[in-house]
Parts: sequence; structure tokens; C-alpha cells
Amino acid sequence: MKMKILITLFFCSLFVNAQTQKQVHPNLNGITCKTCHSCDIPTKENPCILPCPREKMVSIDQSPEDGPAVITIDKFKKQSDIYAPVVFSHRLHAEMSGMAGGCKMCHHYNPPGQVIGCSDCHELTRKRVDISKPDLKGAYHRLCMTCHRSWSGKTDCTECHQQNGAANKTQAQSLEDKSAKRVHPKIITPSTIKFDTPKASGKMVTFYHSQHIDLFGLECQSCHSNESCMKCHTKTQTASLKIKTTDQKHLLCASCHNTKTNCSSCHSDTVKEGFNHKELTGFDITKFHSKISCNICHHEKGKFTGLSKECINCHGKWTQANFQHKITGVVLDETHSALECSDCHQEKNYANPVCSNCHEDKSYPKNIPGKLVKKN
Amino acid sequence: MANYSRRDFLKTAAIAGTAVTGLSSKTKAAPKNILSEDRMGVLVDTTVCIGCRKCEWACKTAHNLETPSIDTYDNRSVFNKMRRPNDKALTVVNEYHNNDQDKFPINVKVQCMHCDHPACVSACIVGAFSKQENGSVIWDTDKCIGCRYCMVACPFQVPAFEFSKALKPDIKKCDFCFERTKEGKLPACTEICPVEAITYGRREDLVKAAHQKIKNYPNRYINRVYGEYEVGGTSWIYLANKEFEKLDFPKLGKDPAPGVSEAIQHGIFAYFVPPVALYALLGGVMWINKNKKKTENETEI
Repeated sequence: MKMKILITLFFCSLFVNAQTQKQVHPNLNGITCKTCHSCDIPTKENPCILPCPREKMVSIDQSPEDGPAVITIDKFKKQSDIYAPVVFSHRLHAEMSGMAGGCKMCHHYNPPGQVIGCSDCHELTRKRVDISKPDLKGAYHRLCMTCHRSWSGKTDCTECHQQNGAANKTQAQSLEDKSAKRVHPKIITPSTIKFDTPKASGKMVTFYHSQHIDLFGLECQSCHSNESCMKCHTKTQTASLKIKTTDQKHLLCASCHNTKTNCSSCHSDTVKEGFNHKELTGFDITKFHSKISCNICHHEKGKFTGLSKECINCHGKWTQANFQHKITGVVLDETHSALECSDCHQEKNYANPVCSNCHEDKSYPKNIPGKLVKKN
Repeated sequence: MANYSRRDFLKTAAIAGTAVTGLSSKTKAAPKNILSEDRMGVLVDTTVCIGCRKCEWACKTAHNLETPSIDTYDNRSVFNKMRRPNDKALTVVNEYHNNDQDKFPINVKVQCMHCDHPACVSACIVGAFSKQENGSVIWDTDKCIGCRYCMVACPFQVPAFEFSKALKPDIKKCDFCFERTKEGKLPACTEICPVEAITYGRREDLVKAAHQKIKNYPNRYINRVYGEYEVGGTSWIYLANKEFEKLDFPKLGKDPAPGVSEAIQHGIFAYFVPPVALYALLGGVMWINKNKKKTENETEI
């Protein structure tokens, strides 16, 4: 009997574990447990979290409205403190972080799922055994000071704190009222930017900003990482672009483009046309390949040439069994679905089917070997 | 420097003398016998320090030194000139230019490094300095005779003397908050630091943590932990994004400082070389003079 209970308990515990994993991390996005945990079955008591920074960046993305409007940071409040707790306008800061990396600018290494607070990882007490990461007070100040220093260059405590005893109770309320509606405008994505460069030949670089997002699937943070307020603003709060050096500009593009030798791929004397895979290579990606990112087919980093246009190159050999013909917009009827692909498609790109092998009087697309459906 | 009678001093000197003759092999080296595995240290990350100088304020408060109001510490104009720890401030923060980042200058806290093989302990002829089990190098006012050899011996030029005091002047230097840590408290500077640029912990753990940081952020730091090996290792170790010599850290070898000074002293004084050499020289001079006189006398005749 005891044995039975033990076995049931064991299975129950396994079940509970499986349950909580889904509850705690509902959207794992292909990240394995081992990305963050060192043991096989992490529990709440012993999460065996790997030290940061972890190999893969795990983070979350929420809209500013989902977070709290105002937080009073009074976790380590002591009577003897010189300064009163900071009333932190969380929502306003979340709005401002739009260009600089979003939530993960502060909530770094946040696991998938809900946003966790600073104190979940950073210890409250300074005298501790694990010194690999700063304590809570240090963690807060480091994050705040990175931006606040670049903004004002000041390190005065009273920029954020009030001296103890002089704390203003209405501060929280006024900040809450302020955060009720959006304070910082949403970032508007430009579609095309024309750069005038000092280069003698190939003066102009036409940058298709929207294409880089829509077509190439880049995240804002892929290029705009850790950009401070000073990127757009001067201290007087008027937006003005800060001047970058040629090297800095090239560095951003260099993660994908060869900026050392291949100047003409970006530079030209006139406005350049946007990227068109069909015109450049003869392979139209708008039909079936528009939603996948470049590196799905172009495996080698920075190399986008030399790929064969034949389907077999990526997909392997197609047969009736592994190819759903429906995807092309034609569902084959019974007779035709029993045939080999090559019976109708003699070309290697599987375009323009021929009927003349069997039917003398029929031709595509006049006659359809099945019925037409809407393409996915 | 307390009232230290001549009799007491001679007594200690006699004891020390016997100790030297008896245990010469042990006393020749730095006092390794109290170098504990669990000795504490501090990791100073100069890339994190914001130069708020709250550590200076906390240090003065903890050591009952004359302390200005905390508001005055926001004044960054003090960084215009380089400062050194002295008898009125046991730690100071200096500021250095950070390449092209004007908004993020480099701030470096300076204080006693609490060497693992301290030169001051070795140089002190009355044993007023000692390396404690918790890593701190402290100074005992009751033993000090005010010879100030420690000031000359220190490779970091840290010990300061209260020249302004005519009566009972003290040697002043960071004591790693010996009294506070004894009570289980943190050193005053490490407790107040808002960004935890100074991390208190076991020295061994700190060295590991420092190397982990360099590995994690190779662009942020140069690949060197100052104080890991310098003069045989120090309890306070530093990380920086720039060559340490450019931040006014002294360029020092890996050999413990007492080893160097002791080798020189012992080398010179070994086998009665100085007296023999002196007498040989004097003898030589006498002999030449004698010969001179002789020839002079001969010519006169």
C-alpha cells in the first residue's frame, strides 16, 4: 500500500511539474529548459538558475500599458536612510524605452512568460554569498544611472530621491495622473531614408527601413540596441539626430552587408530601387517565400549568392506524399494525385505543367487537373 | 603614538631580537602565517563607479573624522585636481577622462590596498602593523613610535602621518573598517555605495567573479585584474576599461614588496659588508695620505 502511494505521489509530482512549466513559461519559443536552468527538474525552492548573462537572451515584450504606472521603490527602506524611496514612473519609462530595446532594457534575461521584478534575481542584502550579480540596490542604481548620466551627466542623489523626512506624498499621485495617457509619443517607423554621404562616387545611400522590418524580418533592437534618449533628444528635449562617424554607420549594416569591399550594393549616385529578389536573381520570392527570413535559405552568414534556383536544393525531392499540392492553389483530383510530379512538371522549377504527355487536346491553365482553391 | 617608555621599547626590541635569531627563516618572509584562505577583499569595478563620493562621506563618518554635509559631495569640481588619501580622508575618488565618452568619466577610488604581503608590516620595526585574518592590514597606535618607515615602504604610498598634530600624532590609513567588520557589519564604503561598484566578499570569490566579468563583457574591460598578482596580491582588486597605469595605478611587479626591500637590506648588510667596506675605504684613504706625506717629506729633504 505504501508503495502504491509513493508511486502515485511520484507521478503526481511529475504531473505538477509539467503543469507549472506551462503556467510559468507559457511561450517558450523554442528555448529549452537548459537555457536558464542547470538541473533537470527545476522547482520553486531550487530553480537552479544559471548565472547571467545567459547564452541565449530570453526576454519579453509588452506594451507600456500592461505594466504598473508608478512604483514606489521601498523594498530596502530603513529608518536610518538618508534619502526617501524613489517614486518611479514605470509606465513613462516603459514608453521611453521604445527605441532602446523595450522592456528588456531593464528586465534583462527575463524568462518567457510574465515579467519578473528586479528583486526576483537581485538579493536584498549586500552581505551575501553569491557576488556574481549586484545586490538589489546596486542593480537599481546601475540601470537608472546608465541613462540618467547620459541624459544630464549628473550623479546627484536628489535628481531622483528626496531627502528623508521631506518626502512628498502627492508625488506618486501626480505621476500616476501624468501616466494616465501616453506621455512619450509612439515611435513612428520611417519607410525610406535617403542618406547623403561624403563619398565621391556613390554619394547616395537609399535605406529601405520598412523593408528591413517587413521583408527581412529584423527586430527594432537588431539595429537600435541600447540607444539612449540622447540618440534623438538634446537636453532641451527637441529631437535632433546625433551625428555618427562613418565607421559607426557602417558597423550597423556590417552585421549583414559587406561594408569593406562591396560599396555599390548600398552606394549609388541616384536613388536606388528597393530590394527585389526576382529582378536581382531571377527567383521570385513573393509567391511562396515572402514570410521566411533570409537565413532560412542563405545559411552562410553574410553570403547571399551561389544558391541554386532549383526547388530540390532546399526542399529535397518532392513526391505526392511529402508535397501538399493545395498550397499552389490547385487541389488535384483523384486521378492526378496518383501521378508522379514529373509526369506533368518537366521543368526543374515545377512551373508550367504540361498536359500533352497524356492529353492531346488539353492544356494548362485552360484545363485544371482538379479544382482551384484560395492560396494560403 | 602612545606614551611608550624607553624601557618598554627596549623590552619589545629584545623580544623581537630573540625572535629574529630564533626564527630567522620564518620572519625573513612576509607574515604568511596569518594569510587566511577566507580572507575578505573588495572588488572595485571602475566601469560601474559613478563618482558620487558617498564612500568618502561614509568613511569619514565611520572613522569619526571631520565630515562635511552630505550635500556638498555632489560638487564634482573636486575632481579637477588629483587627490591622495591623507590623514583627513582615508579614501578618495579621482576622475579620469574616458576616451570619447565625456558623460561617462572613469572614477577610481583610492585607499589602502590591504596587501597580502604588506610592506608596511615588514618595515615596521616595532610591529605596530599587522595583517589580520580577515584580510585587513591594521595599525596599532599603542606600539607606534612614529618612525614613519611604513610611509616609505608602502608601494602605494598610502599611510599618512598627522603632521598637523604636535602631540600624539597618528598614522592614518584605511583599516578596512576593522571594528565594523568585527561586529558583522560591512565596511562603511561598501555599504553605502549606491551602484555596488565596490563588492565585498571572499578575496578568492572576488578574483573568480572579476575574471567571469572580463569573460562575459570583453569589450567593457581590459583583460587584467589589478591587485590579483601585484606585489604578491592585494585584498582590494580592480577592474577597468583602460590601462591601469593611465589611471595612476603604480606599475608593480609580482614579487611581494617586503621581499624586494628585505632583499636589498639583507643583501647590503649580509656578512658585515658595510662595516668592512667602510673600514677598507677609510684604510685606503689613510694609506694614500700616509704615502703622500711620505713623498712630501722625502721631497722636503
